[in-house]
Amino acid sequence: MTLSFPQLLHALLPEASLVLGALIVLAVDLTIGRTQSPVRRIRAAATLGLLAVTMAAWHAINAGAEGSVFGGVLVLDSLTMATRTGVLLLSGLTLALLPGVLRLPHPAEYVATILFATTGFTLMAAAQQLLVAFAALELASLSLYVLAGFDKTRRESAEAALKYFLFGGIAAAFLLFGFSLLYGLTGSIDFMVIAEQLQVQRATPLLVVALVMVLVAFGFKAAAAPFHLWAPDAYQGAPPSSAALIASASKLAGFVLFLRLFWHGLGPAAGSVSTFQGAPGWLPAVAILAGASMLLGNLAALAQWNVRRLLAYSAIAHAGSLLLGVMAARVSGPGPLFYYAATYGLATVGAFGVIAVVDAAGGCHKISDLAGLQRRSPLLAGCLLFFILSLAGIPPLAGFFGKFAVFAAALRINGLAGPLGWLAILAILLSAVALYYYLVILKQALVTPAEPAQTRRIAVPRAAGVTLVLIALFLLLTGLFPSLILRLFRS
Amino acid sequence: MNLPVAQLWLIPALPLLAAGIGALTPRGGRRLAATVAIGALALSFLLSVGALITALADPAAHLVHNFDWFELGSGTLRLGWVLDPLTAFMAVMVTFVGLLIFIFSTGYLRADANFTRFFCFLSLFAAAMLGLVIANSLLLLFICWELVGLASYLLIGFWFHKPAAAAAAKKAFITTRIGDLGLLLGMVWLYDSTGSLLFFDGGAGVLEPAALDALAAQATIGGLAISTAIGLLIFCGAVGKSGQFPLHVWLPDAMEGPTPVSALIHAATMVAAGVFLVARVYPLMIADQPLAHVPVHALTVVAAVGAVTALLGAVIAIGQYDIKRILAFSTVSQLGYMMLALGVGSWVAAIFHLLTHAFFKALLFLAAGSVIDAAHHEQDLRHLGGLRGPMRITFATFAIGTMALAGVPFLFSGFWSKEGILHAAHGWDVSPLPLYAGLVAVVLTAFYMTRLVAEVFHGTARGEGAAHAKESPPTMTIPLLILAGCAIALGFLGTPAWPWLQARLEGRTEIHGHSLLEGGGLMALSILLVALGIGAGWALYGRRTRTRAAAVDPLAARIPRIFSALTDRLWFDELYAATVGRLSDGTARLADLLDRHVWDGTIRFLSGLGLFAGFVNRDADEDVLNGGFDAGSAGLRRGGQAYSRRQTGDAHGYLRVVAISFVVLVMVIMLGGGQ
Repeated sequence: MTLSFPQLLHALLPEASLVLGALIVLAVDLTIGRTQSPVRRIRAAATLGLLAVTMAAWHAINAGAEGSVFGGVLVLDSLTMATRTGVLLLSGLTLALLPGVLRLPHPAEYVATILFATTGFTLMAAAQQLLVAFAALELASLSLYVLAGFDKTRRESAEAALKYFLFGGIAAAFLLFGFSLLYGLTGSIDFMVIAEQLQVQRATPLLVVALVMVLVAFGFKAAAAPFHLWAPDAYQGAPPSSAALIASASKLAGFVLFLRLFWHGLGPAAGSVSTFQGAPGWLPAVAILAGASMLLGNLAALAQWNVRRLLAYSAIAHAGSLLLGVMAARVSGPGPLFYYAATYGLATVGAFGVIAVVDAAGGCHKISDLAGLQRRSPLLAGCLLFFILSLAGIPPLAGFFGKFAVFAAALRINGLAGPLGWLAILAILLSAVALYYYLVILKQALVTPAEPAQTRRIAVPRAAGVTLVLIALFLLLTGLFPSLILRLFRS
Repeated sequence: MNLPVAQLWLIPALPLLAAGIGALTPRGGRRLAATVAIGALALSFLLSVGALITALADPAAHLVHNFDWFELGSGTLRLGWVLDPLTAFMAVMVTFVGLLIFIFSTGYLRADANFTRFFCFLSLFAAAMLGLVIANSLLLLFICWELVGLASYLLIGFWFHKPAAAAAAKKAFITTRIGDLGLLLGMVWLYDSTGSLLFFDGGAGVLEPAALDALAAQATIGGLAISTAIGLLIFCGAVGKSGQFPLHVWLPDAMEGPTPVSALIHAATMVAAGVFLVARVYPLMIADQPLAHVPVHALTVVAAVGAVTALLGAVIAIGQYDIKRILAFSTVSQLGYMMLALGVGSWVAAIFHLLTHAFFKALLFLAAGSVIDAAHHEQDLRHLGGLRGPMRITFATFAIGTMALAGVPFLFSGFWSKEGILHAAHGWDVSPLPLYAGLVAVVLTAFYMTRLVAEVFHGTARGEGAAHAKESPPTMTIPLLILAGCAIALGFLGTPAWPWLQARLEGRTEIHGHSLLEGGGLMALSILLVALGIGAGWALYGRRTRTRAAAVDPLAARIPRIFSALTDRLWFDELYAATVGRLSDGTARLADLLDRHVWDGTIRFLSGLGLFAGFVNRDADEDVLNGGFDAGSAGLRRGGQAYSRRQTGDAHGYLRVVAISFVVLVMVIMLGGGQ
């Protein structure tokens, strides 16, 4: 095993750019920013942050796909490249939405924390070893706890952060315990070696416990039922941009990390993907999580009146579909899952962006706060139409092809004869249910007139307006030409 | 300047962008909307000319650019565009005629409140039509085909506050959809049989020999070759879109739209899409020709439908009083000619006529628009008359268009393209009937156009509008003059002596001209027939012009029963209302009953179930769980913990759920894993 430090440095240039960028953001704000107005401080911080993200994306694309790096600690392949670019894009869009919208003290610290979280995401995309995976996950999670509680003046924000933190802490404990059991069983922390060891070992109760412990942490990260309980509170209380990051980039990175861990590392302990028969494995448990998330998320969303809680339950429902993508990835590759997660992230960033702008203009909690949006700001209403329809999976927007690709991949495995097929049918049926609560949002925004107290026009900050339009166009483009993304994964 | 095939998509993309900008322009931005639409189409025109230069460099080649659209199960759905002389000529025609009509519209709709929306729809239409023309995949063609239908619906119903316009828009959409169903079925069948929808794909396309041989070799119901069956289904789409018998009823009603729309969509371009479609899939249509045992060849059906339509349209046009309806039925008849040419095996003659017809029919419609605009929206020829004096340019250009349509010899383009069709029909060895139908239609066309000119432009003004008519502004007359020039000049690109256009379409670089005297007998006969038609028309309507609006039509005085049948369009609409309309009403009523009493109850039950589950879920989540753990942690709270009441309750409850779930999952794997 040769350890080449220049190679490692080359592979980690995106992360280095992000960390460096975060430090520069802090330094600039501490020196020059002190005397400036808050508006200029946030604009400067966001611009520097965007520069760092752009640099990182450039390095991520240039890093190439040379396989395992530094003795298998990291892996550079097409999935790594796509995921890094994807999370950087999502974080970059979150940053671009900040100027003129964020009304918090210490904007530079907020931006720097986003950059630290993004470092965690990109590292998760490349990790191929238990310790790196855990470190990356924790870096991301700890940053996100801070982001969720950043609005120190609001009790809800603090409550959201505390709940998220408590829940995340327990999940991390489960994960670490699971990892140590895996290490104990196989004697390695390298995914590949673990897979080789599991090939020859027979399933023991201890392995099952380890698998489920890892799965619990996964369920937490993905907000899959029944480990979703933190999500509605966190989405509701956190500042909208933090919620956007939790729902988009964090999910994409999390799903890719666990895709690698489960199929590359724990693949031999999966059980049979077509029938779930044979040796016990993690697939039935994931199937339970998927079914429960889809059912619970979609049905609970029906009864929500708070738009952020609604989006949280919709996120839980989407997590169910994404789990379907994880299960189908053995046969269809990571393409459908990545496409779904990335385009779902885009639409979510967009939807939370609209909420953030409306929030800055006078509060946006209840769905009815969106009433009359079409008159108050046609631009926001138009963009929201794109995001919500994409979330609902209406063609030709990207959300439709995400659903289509994942369901087709699931149905390809054993048609309707296997549990994956039944789950796919359940997901398709629940998509119809989901359409109802998505249209409730759109009805408020486009049809219902505003309450007399809230008829003031909303002044959309220029950066936010441009970013939202860009996201909408991107959803349309990737929806019309899904092969732009899907062909990255063609072998 | 030439345009590489990879950049061909720019031609439809520019008008599409213009449509998007137009949709976002507020009502006040009239100048912006018009400028963007006209500018985008002008650029598309230049690009089309570039594409034509590329295509003519090697006319025999089908340059293609294909790409993966998305994966479908194990297969990949591919789309693409194709550049060959057929595409290039069509694109140049559509952009050029479209450009002139756009410019004309700025004058015609100058007073309309929804000016910007009109240009948005026009651009959308142009984009869809150009996409249809460049498509190298039947699927892409179908998508654009439906978009063209949508744009047509929007534009016919542009004055939707008029009930007639709203009804006409619905009628056009629904009638063409009937044909589109056939096209869709044909497309699905084609994909099922060949696994591809690309026309040309380096040997693997559906219009290339390998696929065609396979399609012609297999037989299906009734002894038809599969290629025949698919060809006929695709032809159904063409019948709907091109207003062929028996689906021609929508086209005359579509005249409720603004006149530039009639010129662009219902004369020059969209209705020609059906002809273009058959020409595009021509290799598929002729694949069954070598087979002697099949009961019917696809092209025989095409020829029959074309001949019937050519005759029917011309006959009905005689009995109409509305300028635009006369022109509409003449369009039906001319489209019948094109189908006839396709059917008798000469697709180049059909495309040549399509191109010349596009110019002179656009000219006729725009000139009619100029008349209607000047006469304060009066379009009944009984109330017009005497416009020759005040509207000189309009009269001169309308006369040129009339002569081109009637086929006045040698100088006018319509003569040469119609001669080509008659010659092709003459050479068809299956049946002489199409030739006879074509020749009779020649007399009728000359007759009804002479009637139209005599009634509108000669004699005296018989209505308020006509009495005060003034020549239209230059934005309207200049397009007329340019189109009139084209209506003359275009014919010389395809005379038998120098058939340049036909040679290029067929992919040949050398041109085999032959003497005009070859087949001169047929030409002499058709010239004689044109003279007969014009003479008869002038004798009835020109010598003694109508003096009062209420005066009886001279032809109606001679054959009153037949004439009133023609005025009522041979009762096709009534027939359809009594049969198809009844059937559909009955089905709708049945569906309504089922909906109200059966489905509605089921849906209500299901939605109630869903809502109930949702509420139970939420309550379980927020009240039972929280409440239970609230009670459980009451002791802790009394102890004066720092945490607020709800926080501790929630978090403890949540974490307990995690622990329970963990245990359940472990049990599931251990017990349910099939050990």
